[in-house]
Amino acid sequence: MSKRVLIVDDAQFMRDLLRDIFEQAGWDVAGEAENGRKAFEQFQLLKPDLVTMDIVMPLRSGIEAVADIIASDPAAKVVMCSALGQESMVLEAVNAGAKDFIVKPFQAEQVLRIVNRAMA
Amino acid sequence: MDMAKFKAMFLSETEEHIRSMGSLLVEAEENSADSEGINALFRAAHSIKGMAASMGYEQMAGLAHHLEDSLDNFRKDGELSRSGIDRLLAGVDLLEELHEDISTDLPERDISGFMEQEPDAEQAVEENIPESSETIIHFLKLGLQENVVSPSVRLLLVLKQLEVLGTVENLSPELKQIMDGQDHRRLQFSLTTKLNEQEIKQAFQDYPEISELIFSTEPPPEENRKQDRRQNDRRGNGVTSGTVRVDTRLLDQFINLTGELVTNRHMLQTALGDQNWRELNDGLGQLEKLVKNLHGQVLKVRMMPVGSITERLPRVVRDFCRINGKEITLKVEGAEIELDRTILEEVADPLVHMVRNSIDHGIEDKGTVKVKVWRDRSHVQIQIQDDGRGIDPQIIRERALEKMLLSSKQAESMSDSNVLQLICHPGFSTTDQVTETSGRGVGMDVVKAAVEKLGGTLLIDSKVGQGSCLTMKLPLSVAIIKLLLFKCEGKSLALPLSRILQTQQVDRKDIITSGKQLMIELEGEKLPLISLRKVLRMSVPPAVEQISLVVMELFGRKVGLVVDQISGHQEVFVKKLPPPFDRLRGTNGGAVLGDGRVVFILDVQGFLERRR
Repeated sequence: MSKRVLIVDDAQFMRDLLRDIFEQAGWDVAGEAENGRKAFEQFQLLKPDLVTMDIVMPLRSGIEAVADIIASDPAAKVVMCSALGQESMVLEAVNAGAKDFIVKPFQAEQVLRIVNRAMA
Repeated sequence: MDMAKFKAMFLSETEEHIRSMGSLLVEAEENSADSEGINALFRAAHSIKGMAASMGYEQMAGLAHHLEDSLDNFRKDGELSRSGIDRLLAGVDLLEELHEDISTDLPERDISGFMEQEPDAEQAVEENIPESSETIIHFLKLGLQENVVSPSVRLLLVLKQLEVLGTVENLSPELKQIMDGQDHRRLQFSLTTKLNEQEIKQAFQDYPEISELIFSTEPPPEENRKQDRRQNDRRGNGVTSGTVRVDTRLLDQFINLTGELVTNRHMLQTALGDQNWRELNDGLGQLEKLVKNLHGQVLKVRMMPVGSITERLPRVVRDFCRINGKEITLKVEGAEIELDRTILEEVADPLVHMVRNSIDHGIEDKGTVKVKVWRDRSHVQIQIQDDGRGIDPQIIRERALEKMLLSSKQAESMSDSNVLQLICHPGFSTTDQVTETSGRGVGMDVVKAAVEKLGGTLLIDSKVGQGSCLTMKLPLSVAIIKLLLFKCEGKSLALPLSRILQTQQVDRKDIITSGKQLMIELEGEKLPLISLRKVLRMSVPPAVEQISLVVMELFGRKVGLVVDQISGHQEVFVKKLPPPFDRLRGTNGGAVLGDGRVVFILDVQGFLERRR
């Protein structure tokens, strides 16, 4: 069975881009969310194998959402999507339990390498 | 009941107990503990237990209880075994870690590992249970690819991965520094694990971002130092807690002084109203006395005995000797002398560093390190002396030539004692090889910078075959210092008087050139001249016949700083610049002069380094 991912990003463009990368690689995109609050709801509903999480989002940030998710499921696998210059926020997210991070602009190969490693 | 308000007091008291346990244990090892020592240890553990339990810190209370139990057993036997001391020291280390967790508002770390591994202390002596032979301590260096994005985060992730494999210790840079988000790409650490080299490498097979992973089974010499530094940081340097305990008599004196100031204010007001100039003058005279008195009293509150930072040296020396099999005696004299706590904080690490240098590089197998502290008028001197092999100025000369820190002419004309100061040159210190040949070097630039930042000086003296002697001359307090004031392009600027060797007027015609460098001969020594205007990127000054020089040391060399005009000296209260300006290199704060003008205190060396 293919692995299921939940894509969280407030930009439709970014979600589409990631969806494309994951689908090409044979993943099943279980759902999408455009803010941190919805991300947590979707996570509980869908129980995906992996979450990709943007950092700066309305309602609840990616860092808060990671904390929520990890609190409800310590084994959850969340990979942060960061941009250059967000180092301190990524550090915070990793401390909150994120497994790894991918850097925008996304490259399919890089994204897949990191998410596969996080799944191991 | 709200316990939060007791936390600061709890932290400061337990810290004292933990530290005293550490020193008592090291002492116990040297003089095979008597029952008095064991009793003192027992009492300290007992106090910690009680306080931690009241505050609800279960791990700390549990651990203290556990240590108390073992001590109780020893108390019955009337002596402490060597393995018992090791075990207790490990427990004290853990107490410190818990203390740090609590003080940084982290949840207490899990100590069940320590509690479970506890073989009954007495049993350990009798059976001498060997350590599990399966675990290996690997000393590793790890580097990231140059193009890795967010290297700090990457290092943190790698660390998390490592912690799955085993216990990571002796981390350098420290976790805190990594978390600060600076661009760290290298990591040094020890990993205690059951895995062998091959297996560890395999675990990182999937990490192309790691460019190197170097193994060794021995801690690199640098590792010792790093480890040391880490321990110091962790263990707090004895003066870091934000609270001070003050003798109530001192507080009474403050109240008295405040009362007198109030009276004085009325007196001045009345005198002013009556336009009675004599009264006013008397009043001002009184005010001056009161302020001076108040200053003295406030300083007293800030004073702490140097012992608070030398206290941990026995442990440093002990641990080092146990690992390296050297036989070194440490003597500390004058630990009761008092210094401003800010200064103590700043020199705590440099002190350990210098002692570490002495026992690591100075002394070969057996010897003595003496730390001597004495008061010398308005200064306190801390001297670290060893009877090791000493530093050979000839080797330093050769090195400095190789490193192009000196021209061959300079190398010849420089006196041996000036040559020795070169070991503090940043360019000098970074070469590992120097350590092996000259016996010193790594980190001395850091030591010197720390001392000078406080307005102190560092003197290095050494005789080949007889040992070395490093002396830190420190002001008693940092807040109020004497400044030398001078002008450049009409601006008032200042340097701490303690940094200045002399001031001098010279004739322009006495200036000589050596290549591009302008020099002056003073008391038989050739000094390079540096124009402060040039350093500060000001305009070129009009040519004058008489030139004002401020002679000081920069990068370990005596130089003549050319200023427009020397205006005198003044005692001032130094204020740190508020962030983000405090991060600018080139100034060490500012001060308001008597007439209301603001001067910046220059850090010429910082300026020049920034320029590089």
